[in-house]
Amino acid sequence: MFTGNNQMELEKFSAFHDAAHREGLLFFYSGYFSQNIVAAMADAVRYRLKIQPAKSETLRKVFSAFVEMSQNIVHYSAEPITDEAADDHEMRYGTVSLGQQGDSYFVACGNPVSLDEAPVLKEKIDRIRVMTAEEIKKAYRERLRSESEQGSKGAGLGFLTLARDATRPINYAFEKLPSDATVFFYLKAVI
Amino acid sequence: MDDFYVQATPTSPEIDFRFSSNTLGIRGESYPENAAAFYSDAIRQLRLYLATLGATHVEINVELKYFNSSSTKILYTLFGMLNDCVRQGNDVTLNWFHDEEDETILEFGEELYEDFGELNFRPTAVSAA
Repeated sequence: MFTGNNQMELEKFSAFHDAAHREGLLFFYSGYFSQNIVAAMADAVRYRLKIQPAKSETLRKVFSAFVEMSQNIVHYSAEPITDEAADDHEMRYGTVSLGQQGDSYFVACGNPVSLDEAPVLKEKIDRIRVMTAEEIKKAYRERLRSESEQGSKGAGLGFLTLARDATRPINYAFEKLPSDATVFFYLKAVI
Repeated sequence: MDDFYVQATPTSPEIDFRFSSNTLGIRGESYPENAAAFYSDAIRQLRLYLATLGATHVEINVELKYFNSSSTKILYTLFGMLNDCVRQGNDVTLNWFHDEEDETILEFGEELYEDFGELNFRPTAVSAA
């Protein structure tokens, strides 16, 4: 029962909160991503996961997926508020969520990417999606041994790390945005 | 050669390279924003130090709670350098501390062992805090 002087607004917020809880959402953030924000979120997520009734190995993988996805947004979202060419102290727009789904956990993220980047991402992930667990491990090791790929601020290991930790093929979607310059890229890993 | 020390932060490890006693340590979390930038000074100092060695026993203690994908790549480079230094007539013991329940970190340690067989690799399970 709601009482107070601003019932309508808070009822909406309450409905949002309840729906999130019902859907098993453990963490959700939408806004600008920087390393400091990732560090603070990682801290919150660790506490949230600590009390989850799952194997610690599973929870570690969930944490790993969360960090990989959040740092991807810091590095690659097409909506930076810092200098486009920067590779440190970056701040970019995106969204990340983490929750429980049946017996599994999921980590999902989204951020705008350029029209040119979208097919590159699609091809990269499609290639990994059809791999068996053994093939993913093999590709991961090959990538570890090779020189870093161009345009990668990490090691080109990010998607393979997600795929290695996930129990199902990683999922993605692209959504057209009103602006012509970018599309919204969603990625989800189930662990 | 001067020792090299970097204090830990919530997302980057303590780096404690005591070149004077041939004991190296990396401890904590490793998911800095830019792993290549974070480790570049440490790698540079290590390279200089390794070039001065001959018939020396080096001990490296690695105790990382979590490391992200870009840190993994840097660690791989670092262990490759140590492996090369064994070929120059030194010997290196890598004490690889990992949480007893953390298979991912143990597996990575084992992969290192396969690729860098010159290292005296000692995995050590520590119980979760």
